[in-house]
Amino acid sequence: MLSESDARVLRAISDGLYDPKIIAEKLNMKVEAVRASADALAESGLVRVTKSVREVFSLTAEGQRYGKEGLPERRLLQEIASGKPMSELKDPNIKIGLGWLRKKGWAVIQAGVIKPIGTAAKGKDEEVLESLLEGAKSCESLDSSGLEALKSRGLVSSSKAKEWRYEITPEGRRVASEIGDAEAQSLTVIASGMIKSGDWDGSNLRYNGKLYHARPYDVTLAADRIYPGKKHPYQRLIDRMRGIMLEMGFSEIKGQVVQSSFWNFDALFQPQDHPAREMQDTFYLDSKAEIPDYSRVKEMHEHGGGIGSTGWGGSWSPEVARQEVLRTHTTGVTIKYLAEHPMPPVKVFGIDRVYRREAIDATHTPEFEQLEGVIMDEGVSFRHLLGFLKEFYLKMGFEEVRFRPGYFPYTEPSVEPEVFIDGLGWVELGGAGVFRKEVTAPFGIEQRVLAWGLGVSRVAMLKLGLKDLRLLYQSDIQWLRETPLSIES
Amino acid sequence: MPVVRLYYEDMERLIGASRDTIMSRMAMMGADIGKRAESDHVDVEFFPDRPDLYSPEGVARAMQGFLGLKTGLVKYPVQKGSVVLQVEESVKSVRPIIGCAVVRGLQFSSEAIESLMGLQEDLHWGLGRNRRKVAIGVHDISRVKPPFRYLGADPERKFVPLDFTEELSMREILKEHPKGKDYGHILDGCERYPLIVDANDDVLSFPPIINGDLTRVTDDTHDLFIDVTGTDPMVFKALNIVVTSLAERGGKIESVLVKRSEGDFMSPNLEPARWVVSADEANQLIGFDLTAEELADCLKMMRFGARAEGSMVEVMVPAYRADIMHSWDIFEDAAKGFGYDKLVAELPKTVTIGSAHPAELRREEVREITIGLGYLETMPFTLTNEKVHFEWMRRMPAPAGTTRVLHPISELHTILRTSLLSSLLEIFAINQHHPLPQRIFAAGDVVVDKKTRMHLAAASIHSSASFSEIRSIADAVMREMGLGDGMRIVPSQDGAFLPGRGADLLKDDRKVGLFGELHPLVLRSFGLEQPVVALEIEWGEL
Repeated sequence: MLSESDARVLRAISDGLYDPKIIAEKLNMKVEAVRASADALAESGLVRVTKSVREVFSLTAEGQRYGKEGLPERRLLQEIASGKPMSELKDPNIKIGLGWLRKKGWAVIQAGVIKPIGTAAKGKDEEVLESLLEGAKSCESLDSSGLEALKSRGLVSSSKAKEWRYEITPEGRRVASEIGDAEAQSLTVIASGMIKSGDWDGSNLRYNGKLYHARPYDVTLAADRIYPGKKHPYQRLIDRMRGIMLEMGFSEIKGQVVQSSFWNFDALFQPQDHPAREMQDTFYLDSKAEIPDYSRVKEMHEHGGGIGSTGWGGSWSPEVARQEVLRTHTTGVTIKYLAEHPMPPVKVFGIDRVYRREAIDATHTPEFEQLEGVIMDEGVSFRHLLGFLKEFYLKMGFEEVRFRPGYFPYTEPSVEPEVFIDGLGWVELGGAGVFRKEVTAPFGIEQRVLAWGLGVSRVAMLKLGLKDLRLLYQSDIQWLRETPLSIES
Repeated sequence: MPVVRLYYEDMERLIGASRDTIMSRMAMMGADIGKRAESDHVDVEFFPDRPDLYSPEGVARAMQGFLGLKTGLVKYPVQKGSVVLQVEESVKSVRPIIGCAVVRGLQFSSEAIESLMGLQEDLHWGLGRNRRKVAIGVHDISRVKPPFRYLGADPERKFVPLDFTEELSMREILKEHPKGKDYGHILDGCERYPLIVDANDDVLSFPPIINGDLTRVTDDTHDLFIDVTGTDPMVFKALNIVVTSLAERGGKIESVLVKRSEGDFMSPNLEPARWVVSADEANQLIGFDLTAEELADCLKMMRFGARAEGSMVEVMVPAYRADIMHSWDIFEDAAKGFGYDKLVAELPKTVTIGSAHPAELRREEVREITIGLGYLETMPFTLTNEKVHFEWMRRMPAPAGTTRVLHPISELHTILRTSLLSSLLEIFAINQHHPLPQRIFAAGDVVVDKKTRMHLAAASIHSSASFSEIRSIADAVMREMGLGDGMRIVPSQDGAFLPGRGADLLKDDRKVGLFGELHPLVLRSFGLEQPVVALEIEWGEL
């Protein structure tokens, strides 16, 4: 902790004063006290002190007198005016000037009369004399010929003098900034009254008869880190996808998490003994659901429903269809919507959680989001599906898209879109196809249905650079805080 | 999906094209090619609907067509053989269907044996529902003496199973043999077990479990007897896939006379199935513009027999194709033959006005409010367990409307959440090393009585978390959501809160939310060491 006087001196040095005498004058302190403070501050590394010894010149007593009165020759010159007989000059001091008057060529004596000549411009010696009248000075600021002239006349004497020069260090500047002005009270918080009626000059304030100095801060210092409340980065990605679908004229649909096997599997023409329906892949519930009139679905599974399909053969059980499951995909929601809206055109999408009975690890979670969309209209074809997919991926920021044959149980033809990603190459992203007739016919849907789906978490891994899917659901709060709102999309 | 190991040298020989040509086009025929290709082979996944591609021979046959080297239907001659198999009544209630064939003149390299074994396993998976529906046995026929009998045998019947040196009874095989342990459940409840024996009563096979050691296939085997048994006509597809694959290796197929009380038949039957399809319908589905002739050409590349007749195409579907159920299945193959990479993508013309779901619009409002109050969004799992969700929350017993899954894969995920709060506490628990205060929320779905409802939960953890803090937050949320009118705040009996520091929100006397200071015993269960205040409000349902 600095003493009051040390603090004031530090502040003065920080303000750019370097001479102890001037500081003493300004702070109304003794020069010795200023020097003692400065030495203490120098020991703490707040101030740098440079000491030097210089020759300084000052006027002798006679020089002082001449300084005030003027040199004898100057006074004599004034005395004689335009000319004066020698006999009239009585003052002995003036007489001293006579020799110098002649020497400087300012006057001549003719027949006992002194007469000025020329302009008698002010000499260098007179300038030095005037200058030294202000105080002792070193030779740098004085004309050397003038100085020599005065020295030869015994008007100037020289002596050795010590000089102190103070400079603030960066640490000193930091400390000084916390102390505030040497004379004014340092101010951190600006009170309301100071805003309303204070007398401000820069950061200086006169308020209620007191002086204040609004302390300057080191604006480059690091701040405490704070975070805004934010949407989950994954949710932002989902919203981006929702936005794309809405922009492209799709309506959003939602459905229940708990679904009957009928809507989740049977309506999609998945045979009842299909491996995907086994306990090891699907979360079954110990409950049965009401299902709609199933006669056409049953007929389709068993015999092909009169649309030229072979069907799966065997016998289809409504009891198996009533078994409830946690939806394994959002497609069950889609086909239910289409069954309720069989007339074209229909363009709908959904993004929701789906459930698979998978052990949890870095790339598998038992629940994850799926994006799904369908276009049902007169005259739409597989080629239109490719066109839609290309546009969607382009809007997602994937500029290169290609299509490979794929297989999905309820679409024919089926396609696996792949996007090109720098550093990874071609990456499979989602699946698509035209709903099989075996799927649409039992519900009276007569137009072709272009359908496609996408694992949203896979896109999140690519876009957010995730290595572990669990982070999306069991989030590290610091990751949520630090992930910037603005992500490349 | 089945993975088929393809050796480049083998493939070049079978197909008659260079490795680069083959590999550059294979994916476009319908395959997932592994990223890590080895120097001499590559592992390729084929789709479940194409079991005929589960062997290198099958892949080669398809690639020859796809590359245009050999197109159209492959004709596999079947010579009439002398082997007879009698199906006895005793097996019909257990495993009624059997198809079989003899293939002669094979030269087995180790690669060929590997591919045959691989094909068998993949067919068991892809068509056989893990042998329940279809199981395949392959035998060295020189070791046994026809005629053969397929019968339902006494489980005490003994023989030496494959990979064993001693006789075991069939019952013992199910208990002691690795295959018996894996597949024995298929025979649960059966009084007699399926068995194939020869004229000397020596055992060829105990389907669908294990072959006898007697007929083991070795490098010296040249002539095979193949049996395929099961419960579904898919048995014959599997048989056709195996014998045509062996024929591609140079085998000569010979028929077997299967004798049954309901009628005898010659096996295998490799006659193609005849379909007549319309070029117009194909054009409408795929969106291309092909003549019937062009459509036929595309199909020939996929190894169908195809012949244009006016605007129609007569298609002969190979006997090894198990996936053709409907004309669209044929059209998809036509699109592959045409080349997916040659199809020009085109935007559909359908004009519709899109609209967001009202629940999602509402969710967006809920988010905006909570984020504005400084809370960070989280998206926890909806699966949880009773211990965390009810016991730790001091909310026992679990309410009646809780959704339980029948066969959980982990004790962590046994029920669907009925509220969100415990999920937020779990997130706090894994984030204790990060600076406080932490304020998080979730605007997610819960399921009660099998119905999806939408909730908001928000929680705040820090050393001076207080009731008044969460009271202000709850007020602000309700005000902004327009829930204030008619909402009553009453003291809560919820065990999750410190008594006297929890409140329920009632709307028309129905509890729609709560807020308060969590009980220290709840916090201790979650391993939390600082006070937590929280709210939860229901804001919608589907």
